[in-house]
This record gives sequence, structure tokens and C-alpha cells, in this order.
Amino acid sequence: MITAGCDVGSLTSKAVIMKDNRILAQDVIRSRTKPAESAVAVMDYALQKAGIILADINFCVGTGYGKDRIPFVQQAVSEISCHARGARWLLPTVKTVIDIGGQDCKAMRIDKDGKIVKFITNDKCASGTGRFLEVMARLINVSLDDLGELSAQAKAPITMANACTVWAQADVIQHLNDGVAAEDIGAGINNAMASRMAVLANNIGLERDLCMTGGVAKNAGVVSALEKLLGMTIKRIKKVDPQLVGAVGAALIAGDKMERRTAS
Amino acid sequence: MMDTFHESSTTLFNRHVQDWKTGGGHVVGYTCSYVPDEIFHAGGILPYRLRGIEAKEMNIGDAYFGPFICSLPKCLLQLAGEGKYHFLDGVIVTPGCDSMRRLDDCWQKAGEDRAEALPSFFFHYAVPHKTADYSIKWFIEETQRLKDAVEKHFSVTISEDQLHEAIAIYNEGRLFLSRLDALRCATDVAISGADALAVVLASTTIPRKAFNDLLKDLITELEAVKNPIRGRKRLMLVGSANDDVELVRLIEGDEAVVVADNLCFGARFYADLVEVEGDPIAALAKRYLFHNDCPRMFGDYKGRLNILQEKIERAAVDGVILQNIRFCDLHGSENGIFERDLEAAGIPCIRIEREYGPLVETGRIRMRIDAFLERLEK
Amino acid sequence: MRKELKEYPFDWMLWRTFAAATRMKAGSEKEYRHALNQLPYFRGILDTIYGIGEPGRLFIEMIAEYFEKIIHAREREQKTAITTFCFSPAVFYALDIVPITLELVTVAMGATYKRGTADFLDYCNEVGFTETSCSSQRGTLGAYLAGNGVTIDMVVCDSPGVCDTNVNAFAFASAYLDKPFFQLNMPPDLTGERSTEYHRADYRALIAFLEEQTGRKLDTGKLRGIMEEVSRQDLLMTELEELQLLVPNPLPVTFNLLIYAGRFLFAGMPQCTRLLESMLKIGRENAASNQSGLSGGKESLRGFFCYIDHYGQNFRLWELLDRMEISYHGNILSKMWSQDAHYVKVLDRREEGYAIDTTDLDTLIDSIADLNSRMPMIKSIRGPYDAPHMWLQDTLALAKLHKADFIVYNGTPGCRNTWGMVKPFARDTEKNGFPTLILYSDAFDMRVESWETTASRIEEFLKVRRLRT
Repeated sequence: MITAGCDVGSLTSKAVIMKDNRILAQDVIRSRTKPAESAVAVMDYALQKAGIILADINFCVGTGYGKDRIPFVQQAVSEISCHARGARWLLPTVKTVIDIGGQDCKAMRIDKDGKIVKFITNDKCASGTGRFLEVMARLINVSLDDLGELSAQAKAPITMANACTVWAQADVIQHLNDGVAAEDIGAGINNAMASRMAVLANNIGLERDLCMTGGVAKNAGVVSALEKLLGMTIKRIKKVDPQLVGAVGAALIAGDKMERRTAS
Repeated sequence: MMDTFHESSTTLFNRHVQDWKTGGGHVVGYTCSYVPDEIFHAGGILPYRLRGIEAKEMNIGDAYFGPFICSLPKCLLQLAGEGKYHFLDGVIVTPGCDSMRRLDDCWQKAGEDRAEALPSFFFHYAVPHKTADYSIKWFIEETQRLKDAVEKHFSVTISEDQLHEAIAIYNEGRLFLSRLDALRCATDVAISGADALAVVLASTTIPRKAFNDLLKDLITELEAVKNPIRGRKRLMLVGSANDDVELVRLIEGDEAVVVADNLCFGARFYADLVEVEGDPIAALAKRYLFHNDCPRMFGDYKGRLNILQEKIERAAVDGVILQNIRFCDLHGSENGIFERDLEAAGIPCIRIEREYGPLVETGRIRMRIDAFLERLEK
Repeated sequence: MRKELKEYPFDWMLWRTFAAATRMKAGSEKEYRHALNQLPYFRGILDTIYGIGEPGRLFIEMIAEYFEKIIHAREREQKTAITTFCFSPAVFYALDIVPITLELVTVAMGATYKRGTADFLDYCNEVGFTETSCSSQRGTLGAYLAGNGVTIDMVVCDSPGVCDTNVNAFAFASAYLDKPFFQLNMPPDLTGERSTEYHRADYRALIAFLEEQTGRKLDTGKLRGIMEEVSRQDLLMTELEELQLLVPNPLPVTFNLLIYAGRFLFAGMPQCTRLLESMLKIGRENAASNQSGLSGGKESLRGFFCYIDHYGQNFRLWELLDRMEISYHGNILSKMWSQDAHYVKVLDRREEGYAIDTTDLDTLIDSIADLNSRMPMIKSIRGPYDAPHMWLQDTLALAKLHKADFIVYNGTPGCRNTWGMVKPFARDTEKNGFPTLILYSDAFDMRVESWETTASRIEEFLKVRRLRT
């Protein structure tokens, strides 16, 4: 049985193809304006890598913001359910998942089958999302990839405005003008992000084991700050890029749905 | 028939209001479910619940209100400033909450800049935040003060008999709305939440007698409906004011139905009848003040929780949507405790924060609702 | 919340901190300086306060005593009540109830800990309280919701009708902790028979509630003693008010906070009286030699803060004003509106002031009800902002009286009330000749806007409006 998951987000689109409970191929691209185009493009790349064609896929689930616009999926499922399912498969002891994506963040508690017990998503604000980090990184002239490393180098991380991305920028500019070191500002940025996420996560009550998904899971500064705030280790997802967990989950849910169909 | 309800619920200057004005009638707008419609009806005036639909810009709202304010009063002010409320002959503002209270200040200020924005009759109706014997006394006096002011400004007489008659008509409408409620709660749901909201919204703008007749006919239709709604997740909607039918439609989608609510443009608006005996002013004051399902009546959380639990049971609710407009701290915070207590009682909840105004964040809301419905799947 | 924070009750920590602070000056100056160096964060503000002299010492002792009472309430068989700064604690003292004024504790914590109440602010959100609520209550509230302080016995506030977000914090606490709740509800008018009757009926209901909670009856003698002390405090405050009108203002920038904090903490109690007397000594001395209260001795500008102060980051607002030679002329918190108040007399607004009549229990209760209904904020932001007796009228009259050069609005994003009309308000103050700065900072939470940014906005305003070169 070959299944696939396609996760079309605001910043990136991902596709994962699975066969017999193994990942056959995967790909990530920068999202285009139209979700359908992004979906087709990323799936094409993944199909090429897998050496198969679309018709070979028995069931495909779409997720992410563009999920209802993907032309080739059999069903659309929320990214929350997909992240949960994917995380549980990748780390079978996980009970709590924190996902920080480009434009929103969420925390969820899951059961042994990767089904949602409780979840929460961020309120209306960019400052708890990857967008916040992107904007801040640009301000201090650092790549998003390097932002995470700054926390380890910082001597005196600033406490920065974290209620509003727009105002946080004014804060960062002020600190730059005052000659504060980039690593201290970077660490402050990571900490601000982590502290907003911690509030959200604590809202639903955490249960071990805890993991992170989404692009920000690659930011070591945010992850370690979050661990300190939550008082819990965050298990790292190593098998795939954390950004792909949603698409993995979608492919797995596709398999679940196939099995249910076959059974009935 | 639903078209009539939808038309009046989605258009400010709808056909009914147009006809009323053409017939020489006066219209008085009010901001809050604590204002007694009956006073105006008794004086031959159309009471009109102010809404912020049709607001597309926010330049006027933002010119007077600061940034950290709920978008509902901003939308109202925007419309007033744009002249969209040209048909109003008067406005009643209440201290429903601080943001709505300051609408009084901002609207009057806007009236200094644009005279056409301010109706000639502008009244602050000081509703207390508690139910005690002295606050009821205050509210009775306040209601008398409102009546006297209406009589004076509009040169009408509002007699006791007229008030009793108005109370009877409004009570009749409330009874019909309660029957509508029952049809929503039934196992086979006769009407979607979106349509039910349209009906309630229509009640805030259509002259009462006409509304009662329309609703009576609708209920007859619904009681005989051939294809009721079945097999969907049953949701209850709680929280900040919502007068957007499309929001409910968005929430319902293809898989859910909103079978109950505790909103002020909803069940809270028509629950409880006004006493028909005795002094009508006192009866109105008591019903409208004790009708205290709003978190503005501080200290009565347990009463409101009971109301929700009772509704959840009556309507066999699968899940509760606890929504609040950003900066609505009263509902936003009480939703937090509702979530704690309802989840502890095994009732799944989701809290959603939104803006009031044109429905633009459909993707964000849809994502959350989808995930919630998936959670409700057994 | 991080588990480290739960190791010690936060209010006990604050008590120990301030208790230790009272002993800082017990030894030599050298020992004091050495001890000061050991304090990582608190030292800045502590040194500033001790630098004031005797009033500073009394202030530290007063805060330590305030927390001491809270910590020992249970063992002394006293009930605790969480309340708001704009509720006069006099009635609590009359009934032997220990008040815990959320906003003042938030300020105390902001002064002593680098992160202020940040963790507790966040904890409130974690348990469902909205992030957009006012940070002044939310800071301390979080600690109590987490069970990280003494047990609360009841919740009392007087902000319904005045400030939703304020009372919402108390209503939330009551529902969350399942504690008895009482609200005094303010009508939109201050004066007039209807409002006066309402205030007094409501206050009597409050007393009945408090008597029921404590099992005690309100003692006429005790209440009389407290109200007589309030009268004494009113006269002292009146003289301090008069001194502030002088050019240059002989009162140091720090005094304004001490005046109103003293009243919020210990209205009707000798601790507040002693503090006011001590401040008056310095004020009179400076006035006698026509000396400015600013440490540089020169007054370049006179600033009127129409709303509240900025309490963040070691009270650096004080340092900024002092350094920029700006004398401080009060804010909405520093006016209690007694009929004896200087500004009430000068502005001929007697009916807005309260009078204290100690004849019998009835007149005492009427007096305290009237007093309470004129507490800061309670008085002037309950009705339309430009109505008589309300915020605009007060601000313009007082700013003019104080010969203020500019007005600053500073509050919190949670203040739905003032953000609902501060723009029209500022238009009016500008029209009346007062350059007006609206700050978007949060007085209690530096994560909204850092102090550095706030300071640069103040400096920019003064430059752009040509108040300073």
C-alpha cells in the first residue's frame, strides 16, 4: 500500500510518500501563491524521488492551510491531527506535541494512537510564530538557521518585548543602537518566543514525553529555553526534518483510512 | 421565508426599516440586550439593535478609539461616522462593558467633527452590574428616566396600558423564539445554527408584530420539516457578541450544527419573560436586570455555568465553542474557567479568539474547528 | 510556571526581602554600601528610596509591615481579602481584615525582581485568563491562582462601573478559587442624591458582607479612630499638595508615589500618617529656602501624569525625570478628593469632595462610603470623560493649577476604559494648551515595551514639542 501526505502551509509546502509503513520519499519547497500549484510541485518532486507516479498512490491526505485546494487528495484533515499522528509514529512515547510553524503555533496532548485529547492554538498575534523569528533575525542581520545558535553564545540575553512583533522590532532597534551584542539580542528573541510558547503549552497541561514539530524545532535556542521554562526535556525528532511531521502524519492517516475502507 | 430573515439580518437599512421610515416612523438604536425594547414599541418607535455589519474600513473607528479596544464598538462608530446609521432618530448606549461604554464618548466626539453622525436623541442608560435591592431600585428609576426622556423628545405618550401591550407582544415573540430553541435542541434538528441566528437577528430589526407573525409561520414550517439535520456533530456557541451569520455557517461547515448558544444576539436575548402583572416599568427593569447571563454581572460565574450545563444536557451537545473577540476580557476570561469546568465534566471545549468585523480569517478559524471536530470523532 | 518559583511562597519572599531591606541601614555606611553590592537588582531602587532620607526608611518599613501582616494573618486568626488599589482599605482595618492589594504587590515585585511578575502574568494566561487583561492585577493574581501565596478568604472590589478589566480579575479569582465575592458598583454620576444614596446603600451591603465573612460586627469606636486618622492624613496631604504648586516644586520626584502608596496601603492607620509627616518636613524645608526637590536643584519643566506612573525596571521613570530636571506633579492616583483638599477648595468643587462626620455609626459609614466613591479612578473615569467631575475636567484643572508644561498618559494595554477615549481626551488637553504624550507602554510589564524604548519616546516628545532642546 502506498500512501501520501501533502502539507501546504503559508511558507512551505511538504510532501511525504510512504510504503508499507516506511518513508519512501519526501520533499519541502517554498510555497507559491496558489496552494494547488505548491501541492502539485512538491508532490511532483517527491514522486520523482520515489520513482513512482501519482496513480500509484492508493490514498492521499491533504493538510495545512491550503488543504482544501489540493486537487489530488482523497481527504483533507486538520494539521493538528496530522502533526499528532506523525509525532506519535516518529516518537512512540510522545504524549504532548508542540508545533511552531510559520504563522501559528499549537500544543496538543495525544493518546497512544496519536489522536487528539486536547489542543490549543495561538491567539491572534504573530509573536508566537516562526514569522516573529524571521522578522527579528532579519533585523539583527542573521539567518534564521543561525539564530538558534546565538543563545549558546550569549552572556546577557535581553528581556525583550514579546507581546507584539511590530513593537518588538522597535525594541531590537533600540538595543542595536545601544550597542548590545547580537548574540544577546538573538538569545532574547529566542527566549521571547519560547516564553510565549510555554504559556500556550502549559494551558493544556503537559504529559511526558514532549516533542516539537515545525520549522522552529530546529532552533536550538528556542528549544533549550522552552525546556527550561516547561521543566521537561523535549525529545528531538531525528528521523525526518521536523517540518515534515505534518505530512508524515497525513500519509499515516491516509493509511488508516485505507485500512478502514478495506475493513468495511 | 428564510430569505426575509436573512435579508433583514444582513442589511442595516433593510426593507422593514425602510418601510417604517417611509411610513413616518422613528427608529431608535441601542447597543445592548439590557435595553427594554418595550419602551420604544409602546411609544410607537422601532427599537433597533445596533450592529457593526457592513463596516469595511476602520479609519473613523480608529480615529477615536485607541488600539487596544474590541472591534465591535469601533465598527459601530465607523458606521455612524460614514452615515450608515442615517435612519436613526436616537441612540441608547449602555455600560455593557467599558469598550461599549466609551462608544458614548467617542460617538459624541465624532458628532463634533461630523454633525450628521450624531442622532438628535442620545441617551446613556446606566445599567448596574449587580442585582441587589438598591440596584433594582436604581434600574427602575433609570428605566423611568428613559421612558420620560423618550416621551419628551419624541412627543409621545407611553402609558401603562401601552407598556402592558408591548410586553405582551414581546413576550409572545420570546415564546416563539423559545419554541425555535426547542426545535434546534431536538435530536432531529429542524434548523441550522446559521439560520436560527438569522431569525434572532431579524427580531432585533423587524417591527415586533410582523416578526412574531413571520416566526410563527416559520415554526409551523419547521415542525413539519421533511429533512431535518442528522448525523452531525452538535455544537454550542458561547462567548462574545456575534451577529455574523457567516461565522456560524463557517463553524457548521458540512459536519456540524450549532444547536444551542448562550450569546447576547442569541438565547440570552430572549430567555425569560417579562412579568405581565403590576407596574410595567418595574417588571421590565427586573426582567432585563435579572436576565443576567452576561459576565458583566460580576460574581455570578456559577449561575452562568449552570445555564450552560443545563443547555448542554437539553440539547445533547457534543462540544462547546468558547469564542471571544480579541480584547473582550469579560468573555475571554470567563471562557477560560468554563473550559476548565466543562472539560472536567467530560465536555470537550475549544477556545477561539477572533476579530469582530468582516469575516476574513476563515482559514484560521476553519483549521481550529476542523481539528476540534476531529477530536470529537469517536 | 517554572517549578523553581513554587519553592517559596512569593509573598513570603517579598516580606523577607523588605524585612531585610529595613535593616540595611542598621550598620555603618560602609556596611550599607557593601551589602548593597550584594543585591543584584533591587539595589538601584533601594538606594534611591534610602536616599530620600527618613521618608524612604519609613516607606520600606511600611511595605515590610504590610507583607508581615499578610503572612501572619492566618496565625492571628485574621481573614485576608484580595482587593484593588482604588478601594480604600480603611474598612478592612476597621474589621481586622488583612488587605492584599494586588496592584501594589505587583509594583513591589516589579521593584525587587528583574523579571517583575512576568512568570505570574503568564501563569494567568495559562489558566485561562486573557492576556489582554490589565497587567497590574494580573501579575500578583497569577501567584495566588497558582497557590503560591497565602490562602485568600474573600474577594472585594469597587471597580464595576469604572473599570471592567480590573473587576474582571477579581471576578475570575473568585470563580477560579471559589471564594466569596463582593463588588461595589459605581453609577456613572458622582454627585446628586441618587448616586449618593446608591453609594451608601451599596457600602452598607459591603459591610454586611464583611461582617458575615469575619463573624465580627463593625465597631463604631474603631471606625471612628480610623476615620479621624484619615482626616489627619487628608490635612497632611493637603499641605503636600499646596507645596507642589510652588515654583520650583520643593517635593522630590519620588514623593508622589509615596503619598499615594501610603494611602493605598495604610489609609486610616498611623503608618501612613508618619510617612506623610516625614515627607512634609522635607517639603517645608525645601520650600522655606525656595529649593527644588530635584536632586540637581534646578527645575526646567513641570510634568503632569494624567493617568498612572511607570513602575517598571527599577522605577527608572524617577531617574529619568530627575535627570531631565522635570518636577513631578501628580497623577490620577494622588488625588483623594477630600473636601479639605487644597485643590477642592481652590477650584471651588466642594460637592465633589467627601467630608468625614464622626458623630455616629451611620454618619461614619456615610463618610467612608463617600470617601470610597471618590478614590482615584473610581471618582473620575466612571462617567463620560468630559462630563462634570470626570477625568478631563479634573486633569485640566489640576494641570493648570500645577502650572504643568505637559501632560503624559501612561497606563497599560489592558486599560479598556481609557484606551476607549484617550484620543479624544488628548485632543481636548492639547486644545487647552497642554502638549500631551500618549505612551503605549505597560506600566507593569516590560515585555510590552522595554523601558529603553519608553524613555526614548518621552525624550523624543519633549524635543519635538520644543519643551527641551
